[in-house]
Amino acid sequence: MTAQVEAAPELKTAPPARVGFTAVLRSERIKLTSVRSTWWTVVALVVLGAGLTTALCWGNAEWLASGDADEAPGSFITVGMTLAQVCALVLGVLTASSEYGTGMIRTTLAATPVRGRVLLAKAVLVAAVLMVAGTVTALLGYAGGNYFLDREGIGLALEGDVARAMYGSGLFLAGLGVLGVAVGFLVRHTAAAISIVLAQIFVVEALVGLIPGSVGDWAAKLMPGNAGLQIASPTTFIPDMLDPWPAFGVFSLEVAALLVLAWLMLRRRDA
Amino acid sequence: MIRAQALTKTYGDRTAVNGIDFTVEPGRVTGFLGPNGAGKSTTMRMILGLDAPTRGTVTVNGHRYGSSPAPLREIGALLEAHAIHPGRSARDHLRWMAASNGIRTTRVGEVLEQVGLDTVAGQRAGRFSLGMGQRLGIASALLGDPPVVVLDEPVNGLDPEGIRWVRQLARQLADEGRTVFVSSHLMSEMALMADHLIVIGRGTILADCSMQQFMTDHAASYVRVKAPQSTDVESLLVGRGLEVNRVDDEIRVQGLDAAAIGELVGSNGLLLHELTLVRSSLEDAFMALTADSVEYHAEAQPKAVAA
Repeated sequence: MTAQVEAAPELKTAPPARVGFTAVLRSERIKLTSVRSTWWTVVALVVLGAGLTTALCWGNAEWLASGDADEAPGSFITVGMTLAQVCALVLGVLTASSEYGTGMIRTTLAATPVRGRVLLAKAVLVAAVLMVAGTVTALLGYAGGNYFLDREGIGLALEGDVARAMYGSGLFLAGLGVLGVAVGFLVRHTAAAISIVLAQIFVVEALVGLIPGSVGDWAAKLMPGNAGLQIASPTTFIPDMLDPWPAFGVFSLEVAALLVLAWLMLRRRDA
Repeated sequence: MIRAQALTKTYGDRTAVNGIDFTVEPGRVTGFLGPNGAGKSTTMRMILGLDAPTRGTVTVNGHRYGSSPAPLREIGALLEAHAIHPGRSARDHLRWMAASNGIRTTRVGEVLEQVGLDTVAGQRAGRFSLGMGQRLGIASALLGDPPVVVLDEPVNGLDPEGIRWVRQLARQLADEGRTVFVSSHLMSEMALMADHLIVIGRGTILADCSMQQFMTDHAASYVRVKAPQSTDVESLLVGRGLEVNRVDDEIRVQGLDAAAIGELVGSNGLLLHELTLVRSSLEDAFMALTADSVEYHAEAQPKAVAA
């Protein structure tokens, strides 16, 4: 026994070179692109988003061109984002929560003990993917929807608020994706996290407006989904919302606050 | 080298690990043995910086795990099999790990070959058997060519050939001068694999010694003597100052080996019907040691077996 210990060769244990944030970013990029769910979610996002815009423009073009219309064509040109946002949230949540579901989070955090880097890398990548996917979806929806609007003579030029709504859709979905990442890290359970974000976007935000008086009005304006959507649409269906850029500012702050909370909890909690 | 000092972890009012001190030295296989719920996995997680100790410290190569610039190159760990995204291939799983610690990509192919998964490296890990998942976990532990290797229950789910392979691998890693720390709840497995043993029960260290020492200290042995004139034989042995126990028709003698007992009895003109060295297994020794510390008891009592 003792002889064996002495006979063992000395292993060099010089500390290895420090790896930085780019290594974590590369690592997370491999993770994101090496599972099919990412691609399915992005494809679903583009198809559903652009498809819904095109379908609703097709169905409503004649009415919008008539004198009876009480909505503007601009409200329809990015309407598909209401479906696309579900995919964006799911993608964000999954990048975080799927690691908890499998127990892989322990491998991840053992590989990168500076945990904030993992959170940040995931947020950056999801935001980048959704910025592109959201803008592409909006442009495809515009191409499809505007074809039908054009036929009724109410086509929209790709400029001003319409152009802003294109990259605005990218910004909106990127923000939602980061929100999904934050909630995924906070809740650590896929089904629960997705339920929470969808309930927030589709139920809570629709209901707070029912609170009487200015409290309800402001609550509705400041909700992340409502505020974020303003940048993604030339003219909105819901009246009395904040202007697009101030609304996006509110949305960004809310997402950032949630991300900071997720970071604090990730640092604190046992993996 | 891994060193724990007054390491403590409590969850609410339950103490999982209670102020333990131990050192895992390089160049040998150290077994970390304890019944389920004894605190093994909690200790492993604290070593890897996954769970924060409530009190005390644990260091790897002299510093806290979290302060390592590229931890996978300092300590490789198998924590749980199947802690892998089921939709990701074995190769991609190792690729992201390599990327995160700046490990050259060629290591991925090398470790896949080493654990025998090179032919299925492109398959989705969800299709892997428990044993294949375990091999992938071991591959990820070896990825950074680390001087310290930690394996939590590495033989779970492996077939006999796989178990032998893990045993040989642990031995080889230790012979290369690495620190090898292997946990198990199976004494029989440890007896074959470990040079040194740390036994934990209910969050405290029950034994920290060489495997040889553990056997001498805890695996009780005695000589079973059966004789027609058993009362005469018994009084003869007692007269020699030996420790003698009478159980039914057999006499259990400690303190003298079988040959010497035979000669002693024979030279006094007494007959012998049986003279056997009985040694309780390590499993029994382990059971006896941890009897008070297992969380869930079954009723059956362990039986001593002849060795």
